[in-house]
Amino acid sequence: MPTINLNKWILQDMTGLNEQELVDYLFKLKSEVSPVSQDEYSIEVNADRLDMLSLGGIVRALKGITGKELGEPSYPVKDTDYILEVEKVTSRPYALACVVYNVKLSPDFYLKELIQFQEKLHDTIGRRRKKVAIGIHDLEKVEGKIIRYAPVSLSTTFIPLNQEREMSVRDVLQETPQGKQYGNISVWDSNSPAIMDERGILSVPPVINSDRTKITGNTKSLLIDVTGTNFESVMETMDLLATALAELGGIIGRVKVRGMSVDRSPVLRHTSVPFSLDDVNKRLGIHVSRDEAINLIRMMRMEVETNKDLAVIVPPYRVDIMNYTDVAEDIAMAYGYDRFTLESGRTASRGSLSEKSEIYRKLRTLLVGAGFQEVYTLVLTKSSYQRGEAVNIANPISVEYDSVRNSLLWNSLVFLSNNQHSRFPVRIFEIGDVVNRDESKDTKYSNSTRLSMAIMDSRVSYEMLQAPLHEVLLNLLGVAPSYRRFESDIFMKGRSAEVVVKGETIGRLGEANPELLRSFGLLYPVLLAELDLDALRRVM
Amino acid sequence: MLSENEIKILDFLKRRKESTSQEIAEGIGLPLSSVFSIIATLESKGIVKVISEETRKVVRLTDEGKLRAEQGLPEDRLVTLLNGRPLKIQELRNALGKDFEIGFGWARRKGLITLENDTVIPKVSQYVSPEYTALKDLQAGKEPTGEVLEILLRRKLVEVKEEKMLRVRLLREVETRPAELYVTHEMLTTGSWREYEFKPYNVEANPPFFPIGKTHYFRDFIEKVKDLMVGLGFVEVSGDFVETEFFNFDMLFQPQDHPAREIHDSFVIEGKGNLPGSDLVRKVKEVHEKWWRYSWSEDNARRLVLRSQTTAVTARVLSSAPKRIRAFTIGKVFRPDSIDATHLIEFHQMDGLVIEEDFTFRDLLSTLRDIFQGLGVKQVKFKPGYFPFTEPSVEVYGFIEGLGWVEMAGAGLLRKEVTEPAGVFSPAGAWGIGIDRLAMLFLGVKDIRDLYSLDIEYLRSRRVI
Repeated sequence: MPTINLNKWILQDMTGLNEQELVDYLFKLKSEVSPVSQDEYSIEVNADRLDMLSLGGIVRALKGITGKELGEPSYPVKDTDYILEVEKVTSRPYALACVVYNVKLSPDFYLKELIQFQEKLHDTIGRRRKKVAIGIHDLEKVEGKIIRYAPVSLSTTFIPLNQEREMSVRDVLQETPQGKQYGNISVWDSNSPAIMDERGILSVPPVINSDRTKITGNTKSLLIDVTGTNFESVMETMDLLATALAELGGIIGRVKVRGMSVDRSPVLRHTSVPFSLDDVNKRLGIHVSRDEAINLIRMMRMEVETNKDLAVIVPPYRVDIMNYTDVAEDIAMAYGYDRFTLESGRTASRGSLSEKSEIYRKLRTLLVGAGFQEVYTLVLTKSSYQRGEAVNIANPISVEYDSVRNSLLWNSLVFLSNNQHSRFPVRIFEIGDVVNRDESKDTKYSNSTRLSMAIMDSRVSYEMLQAPLHEVLLNLLGVAPSYRRFESDIFMKGRSAEVVVKGETIGRLGEANPELLRSFGLLYPVLLAELDLDALRRVM
Repeated sequence: MLSENEIKILDFLKRRKESTSQEIAEGIGLPLSSVFSIIATLESKGIVKVISEETRKVVRLTDEGKLRAEQGLPEDRLVTLLNGRPLKIQELRNALGKDFEIGFGWARRKGLITLENDTVIPKVSQYVSPEYTALKDLQAGKEPTGEVLEILLRRKLVEVKEEKMLRVRLLREVETRPAELYVTHEMLTTGSWREYEFKPYNVEANPPFFPIGKTHYFRDFIEKVKDLMVGLGFVEVSGDFVETEFFNFDMLFQPQDHPAREIHDSFVIEGKGNLPGSDLVRKVKEVHEKWWRYSWSEDNARRLVLRSQTTAVTARVLSSAPKRIRAFTIGKVFRPDSIDATHLIEFHQMDGLVIEEDFTFRDLLSTLRDIFQGLGVKQVKFKPGYFPFTEPSVEVYGFIEGLGWVEMAGAGLLRKEVTEPAGVFSPAGAWGIGIDRLAMLFLGVKDIRDLYSLDIEYLRSRRVI
């Protein structure tokens, strides 16, 4: 979940809410507030509410949920004579721009907040600048009225943000931190996209702006460019920025656009999402009247078209509203989740455990009766512990957990190895899933449920494990298992057997091979058994 | 409680009230040293009293003396061997071995034989030496005196020793039945147990270690959750750890370019899986491209991961287009993270799914409240939330004494974009609950790694209530 930091006093002042009220109302708006310093809140915002990643957006939402202002605000918008000319930029074809007058970037908090909003949009809707990137400029430093979005060759030079010397685009990409991080996103055929005024480069999307048009605390008007690989996302980002600034007193200046599917920017798009009140009430399980519903929607800062069927007029900053279910959620939020009356025990259906769980319970009762301690170990393990084919993780975070266990035996051995100074005898069992190759599955792998039993003592003999295993199976199945000599390098020669029930091999047991013990650092003799519970189920 | 030997001594004393240690030793056939220590024990128990202690000189057989008392003295044996007839020296030497020299010397000195060349001629046909008689008398308790004693001492058949002698008096009568450790089947069969005393045990001492079988406490918690869900009318289902991204993400409406789908947020398995052959894939592609505005890749959907949410199981259930269902699953999910006291790279989720024609958001909240009440969380509150696959969405907070409100679950009604491609047209509620963190709260576990402890002593020592 994205988190933003906002100044406490400014937020309290703008909303007229004290700290507890802010906590309570933001909770209703999917957000969580925690103070990070004397002057600052950290606010967790849910990923769908991109508008609330800004101070303006949060203030707008809070004014609605507290009933101070309802519906969509009417922000001042005027046309300007700025023109954005978009040329063919293969790697990043879409661009929009807008102008915002009367912005307040001082004290310093406002400037930081604007940059924070820009960065949060980069990380969310911008997909770390791949899909959308934003450039913000001091309009007074922009020369001329024509803004061009066009490819430039990598040898073109400009002074990048916070640098002192002129650099080629190529050098910027190779030498600056931003260049190293984002440089490879949009470069193609020795070209880079660029936003330019009459004098030269304003920004090289999605990497960096020019130093020339840098915004400061004294900046009064902005030129904002948004570029990207998806037009809708570019448009939404532009609308989110413009409306957030407008909420704080900015005046939106529209720019003429050439070479895009729209001729004005910001688009400030409104969409209509029709809904039936009945559907909403049915989905929520409450009964709100038509008037109440309209009021609740307006509390969420949206308008409702009421002349024919009901429809929400989704404002430009609510890019998360898709269909009537989203409308239902907003109505529920404004209504208050805490106002839903809860009812208990509304079910006629009968529950049941899976067959797997049923067998698990029966087996573990028997095994505990046989004096074995149940253990529960992790599914991920070190690949070097395992024998045979196992699922390896392509991006492990540690060699200790770089594969999925293909048997429970390795976990048992690790467990025993860890308990050589415990009181003897150590008798353990575990029932759990392992993963093996399975060509019949769409993933080519499947879980298999296993039972492992192990005994470690100063001396052990085959029957010490065979006898309890035998009784457990006899009690579970009503049929005595038989044993067939079986050799494997897991066990000592002549000391292991397959466990056979009704002609089917369901597992193996024996005394662990000292070579195996050595590889697990074990210095006491060990008996091991492993049963395949899926095979066991087949013979039941 | 008395030992067997204590009882023997007391029985002996009962007949004469007073006796000496030597008499006792002789009377019941115990070494004198044992008699001394038993007397000391009985005296400490206040049963007997030592009324005098004296040291006296006693004549005792040497090892050789004991041997001679048994076999006869060498000269006696030589005379017996001759039996009144002359015999060659060599024959006698062969018969007597190393005793020949002693026997021959003493026999000549005592005038029992003469020697002619190499032939020994007996003067008597039978002989019993006074030394032999004295040795036998000594064994019978009669000490030799005078000349015989001197000869015996010279021949090193006896020695004179100093010996302690205790005079003991019985103070009180004690019931002296034999003491036994075990009641046997035989005793019970014959009724002979009545004749025995049974030794008391040191019942207050700590016992030796006894390894008992025990269920794992965290698995007990998981089973409790299952019982709760079954009680609420849910059917348990399960799924596999290795999953295609299709079921782990795409069906749940998580766009392929979403940050949560980046490589560091799930464990990647090499290889590609297969997608379902139905319309499902086409429809999922459609809703993704329509809403998220990117070009959906079937190849990405085929990538394999370790499931990062049990909602993948829910997605599998959905893909079978059930008309009506209440299902839950509890299982492991896997997410890359740094490992510490509150984070592991694998943990459990409990996912639930309800598909019912008239199921509402309010019913969902009610169900969640029921679940948490069943788990022992008395107070819950609901916070609007966001998950790509649900709308409305809710986060459930539970109140825990000492901690306050703790986030416990994410839930919501599944979006149409999720249910309709799968062919489900009824409302569907779904949720995911992190089980490990809940278990830690309820089980008083501070370190999540203890839920998977490799220390058997920790498991052995955990109380079960």
